[in-house]
Formats: sequence, C-alpha cells, structure tokens
Amino acid sequence: MAKAVSARSRTSKHPPEIDLLPVMNLFCCIIPFLLFSATFLEVVVIEMAATEGINSGGGGATANLMRSEEDRLQPKIIITEQEIFIGTASGSAHVGYAFETELNGEMVVSFPWDSLSMKLTEVHDLLTEAYPQIEFHKITVLTVEETRYDNIIVAIDLAGAVGFDQPGLQVAPSASVNSAMAGGGN
Amino acid sequence: MSTPSKRHVPLLLGSGKSKALSRGSDKKVSLNLTSMIDMFTILLVFLLKSYSADGQLVTVSDQLILPKARVEKKVELKLELQVNSSVIVVDGDPVVNVTPELLLSGNSIPALVTRLRDHMEYSRLTRGTLTEDDLKINIQGDVGMPAILLQRVMASCSEAGYVGQNLAVIKIISSEGGED
Repeated sequence: MAKAVSARSRTSKHPPEIDLLPVMNLFCCIIPFLLFSATFLEVVVIEMAATEGINSGGGGATANLMRSEEDRLQPKIIITEQEIFIGTASGSAHVGYAFETELNGEMVVSFPWDSLSMKLTEVHDLLTEAYPQIEFHKITVLTVEETRYDNIIVAIDLAGAVGFDQPGLQVAPSASVNSAMAGGGN
Repeated sequence: MSTPSKRHVPLLLGSGKSKALSRGSDKKVSLNLTSMIDMFTILLVFLLKSYSADGQLVTVSDQLILPKARVEKKVELKLELQVNSSVIVVDGDPVVNVTPELLLSGNSIPALVTRLRDHMEYSRLTRGTLTEDDLKINIQGDVGMPAILLQRVMASCSEAGYVGQNLAVIKIISSEGGED
C-alpha cells in the first residue's frame, strides 16, 4: 500500500511571497490620477480695504480714516524710495534703508524686512497694552508711486503675520511723502 | 512542404516564458517589486498631500509673475482682473494698455470703470440680484507693477462698486514640515 505523503514533504522550501502585482496595478492607476489633480502652486488672496483715488496733495483716503478709535490709532507702514518707516498716531519710527538686490537677473529695490517685522510686533504689543479694549487689525501701507508691487505685498504679509490682517493701501506723490517724513517726529 | 525553422525566442520574464526555454531549467525569473512598491508608496503619500479636490480655480497668465506671501485665505471664484507691464485684462479681455501717461495720476481709470460696471450690470441682469460675493474681485498683479498702477486699478474697482478687492498671491510653503 502506498504511503501517504507526509506533511513535511508538502511544505515548500521557499518562504511564501506576497503577490505584489495587484498592488502595482493599483498604484499605476492612482498615481497618474493624483499627478493630474495635484496643485503644486497654491494661489491665495489678501483681502484689501477699498481704496480711493488720490489727489495731487496726496491726501486721498486719509479723510475716511478718522471713523473710529481703531482707525485713528491704526499704524502705517510708510515706504519711500530710500527708507521705510512705521507711523503711528504718536509719531513715526525709522525701520531701515532701501538697498538693491538681484532678482531674476535684475537689480531691484528691497528693504530690511526682518527689522520691519520686529518693529511691527513692538507696535502691535504696545497698542494692545495701551488700549486693551480695542482689537487692532487695520493697517495702512502708505507708499510712493514707484514702489514695486512685491515690496507692498511683503509689507502687507509681515503685518498680517503680526496681527494687522486688514490692510489698506495709499499711494502718494514722492514729494509729499518725503516732506511729511522730513517733518515727522520719532 | 517544409516545416518552418525554429527561431530563437527572446528571453521573456515571468510566466510567459516559452516551453523551449523553460525546459532547460525550472527556475522562474521574477522581478523584485518590493523596492518599486516602496518608491510608489512615498510618491503616493506626497501626491495625496498635494491633492486638491477643488482644482485650480484661478488661471494665472504666463505674462505675469505673482508675488509670494504666507497668507492662508483661499482663493474663490470671482471676477479676474490681471495687471501686467503692458495691459490690464478684465475677465480675459484686454481693456487698457499700460502707457507712461497712465502712471501720471492716481485716480481711477475711466475705461476700466466702464468695463467693470458693465460686468456688474451683466451679473445683476443674469442673476436678478447682486450678492456680497458678486461685489468681490480678484486682482492678479505682476511683481514689477508700480504702486501707482495698483492704486489706479483699486480705485477703479472701488468706483465701479467692487468693494471687496483681493490681491492674488502664491502661497509660500515653508520647508519646515508644514505650511506657514
């Protein structure tokens, strides 16, 4: 009588392997789909306060800034051709000087953004301590006509990071901004 | 009639091997897929992280470079206004050419105001009423645009009735493992 095959002889010499081909097939379907629907550059927006035209004297929307206590106290980032300042109801403070830097093979004007960030933090803390009943969100970027758009955006972005997340824009002729800053306090 | 001569069969991997080839040895040649699976898993995780169910809501023109910022507010589908160094485009239509004369004053641009008002009127007629969302506009500006041009564009939007003005920027993603 024939002997039954022992269980030992039925066992394979090699350890069992998982069949990875179905997983590969699945990945080959999922990865092209995800590649098409992935977004590598995300577009976001900065909400701005409504802006009015400016007159030759550079006054513009300033008349509307006196509507509330927050409006009266709101700081301004003042960007001229050579310097950058922070202006508050109690005066203005120098932040730094403009310098030229290379961007995409082109020499462009930039500003010391780290100093601006530090000063903005100081101003926000001071305002919050002095007026705890008011939440400060508004800030105005007052700039001369030639200032590049990316410099304005960086200033707004830094202000937003500190807590001034409702920016407005004012553009004034260079002469009026420079004369105002020359006569401004510290 | 002569029988066809035996041809050399190229080496095929896996179970598709011809009998003639496999007769010599029973050894089955198989690809080691483990490393490829590892790579695909990493790729899958990365792509899942950057997957967007919304898709691209905003079409950025090739002729402008958007500035970068760390803000978080997501873009919504609104009227698009693009400003580059040569032309102002509203909803895909070039409206105003950017000339040196345009940069002399800071007030609104009449042609742009008219075009924006027309668009708002069109929206009002087609929908019957205007909601708060209809009064918002997305402005895409080139990094090199001077402040005076931005001022004129924004003043034109305000004059036309678009009270909500959003500046479109590219989000900066920090390299420290998260998004700022």
